[in-house]
Amino acid sequence: MSGSTPAVDANRTRNRIFVALGTLVIVATYLYLILAQPEELAEGGLGTSALIALAGYLIGAGLIAAGAIHRLPTATLSLIPIAIVLNIAVGQLTAVLGLPLYLDSIGTVLVGVLAGPAAGAVTGALTNVIWGLTIGPIALPFAVTAVVIGVLAGYAARWGMFRRFYLAPVAGFVTGIVAALVSAPIAAFIFGGATGAGTGAIVAAFQAWGNSLLASTTLQGLLSDPLDKTITFTIVVIILFALPSRLRGRFPFVRQYNVFGKVAPVAPAEPAAPAAPAAPAEPEAPKA
Amino acid sequence: MTTLYLERASAVHRLNPVTKLVALLAIIAIVFAVPQWWIPLGIVVLVVVPAAVLARVGGRLLRLFLILLLPLLVVLFIVQGFFFPDGTTVLWQWGPARLTVEGLVFSLTIGSRLSALVLGSLVFVLTTHPARLMTALTQAGMSSKIAYVISASLQIIPAFQERARSILLAQQARGLEIAGGPLRRARALLPLIAPLVLGMITDVDERSTAMEARAFGATPRPTSLTVVDDPLSERIGRWLLAAAAAAVIVLVVVGVIA
Repeated sequence: MSGSTPAVDANRTRNRIFVALGTLVIVATYLYLILAQPEELAEGGLGTSALIALAGYLIGAGLIAAGAIHRLPTATLSLIPIAIVLNIAVGQLTAVLGLPLYLDSIGTVLVGVLAGPAAGAVTGALTNVIWGLTIGPIALPFAVTAVVIGVLAGYAARWGMFRRFYLAPVAGFVTGIVAALVSAPIAAFIFGGATGAGTGAIVAAFQAWGNSLLASTTLQGLLSDPLDKTITFTIVVIILFALPSRLRGRFPFVRQYNVFGKVAPVAPAEPAAPAAPAAPAEPEAPKA
Repeated sequence: MTTLYLERASAVHRLNPVTKLVALLAIIAIVFAVPQWWIPLGIVVLVVVPAAVLARVGGRLLRLFLILLLPLLVVLFIVQGFFFPDGTTVLWQWGPARLTVEGLVFSLTIGSRLSALVLGSLVFVLTTHPARLMTALTQAGMSSKIAYVISASLQIIPAFQERARSILLAQQARGLEIAGGPLRRARALLPLIAPLVLGMITDVDERSTAMEARAFGATPRPTSLTVVDDPLSERIGRWLLAAAAAAVIVLVVVGVIA
């Protein structure tokens, strides 16, 4: 809002390039890994798959986070630490309660919905960095998954998936599928399918059935991630619907894209105006 | 402290955090580039463990290894040793489980790389205070916004836990049950999260007003109160490490190391 100083504008092109480049690197990494991998394994080794999975995904996630963080106003920046702690706290609580889920992206989705895809991406990336500093560095290679979840949550909100209570779980399900696809090469090439006892057993079962390593981790991800993200998105939509609309309306992203459908009667006229055409599909540059 | 950092007086602790980070990244790049399983293992034994002992964090590293890494390695050897899809040389078979040479080599490769990645990162985290790391990275050109988010998150964790505890007690006083089956426990999660998030979002406004009043993010390069010194030897060392990692990757890609 008012925080956009000229210095921010000067870097706008650079930030756009960072985000575009990061996205490109991630997509290229994934495509390379699923297309080139079978030949390399046939030669009797991992080849360069592991290095490419690690480097490509980390560089891509880093570029997106670095490009995205400069767009964020101070209000959003001060929301992100809270979301990160929420991710970690609920993720740990879930593990302690012994639930067969992760539930470690509630804060990421929350920020994505309230403040947009850029904020969601930053929250996801930095959550995994904090995780590395506090609990252990095993989560770090999966940073790209968290970025994807944050971005998709932001776009789901922008496309009106949080206007109806029943649409959010659908968005969560789709996000889970994408998250499973993106994280499968990490689980396969960096962890050898062994990301945990339960997931390891499922991977072993799929391999015993005759699937390749990458296919097995993909199938394992498709078993758990969509369910987990459906529940996560449902929890977030319940929380957000329970919030007073005065609080939700504080976020410029919520007002601009009319995330929750109901245009608040007390909202000022100018931010509500661009949201009037229902579900804006591709206004890439909303403010000049 | 909520982070893994351990306060010690050692040469490893005194190094510039950026140097340690570059060394860590170089190690990770090398172990994931080379195909031989014994190179990562050699780096762990000859570089990572001596660094931990030198920094006097060896005991904690061993404990974290047992908690974090050992379970993963056991799962890895069971999954890939017995169920490796491309295994042909069968040593032992029982039902669908086939212990193959290829599977064992594969799990050894992945296992030694994972050990180097995780143990190296742990030594870095154990010997580097987050605040010092953020200062050094900001000096090296990282955005102060990233530094703020990471530092703030680490500082909020205790306050957050305190608030979560008081909400839990308040809800239990109103009859919330947290014991019982998984479904019941899952349902107990929501009455805990909702007030937590509500309270946190109310705080956001105050905090961002306070930050903007103090001109957060106004000047591109504010001066820092504490300066992490960065001697010339470390700067040269960083370039050498980066060059070594790049050289190894090039040699692997060209096919000299295979």
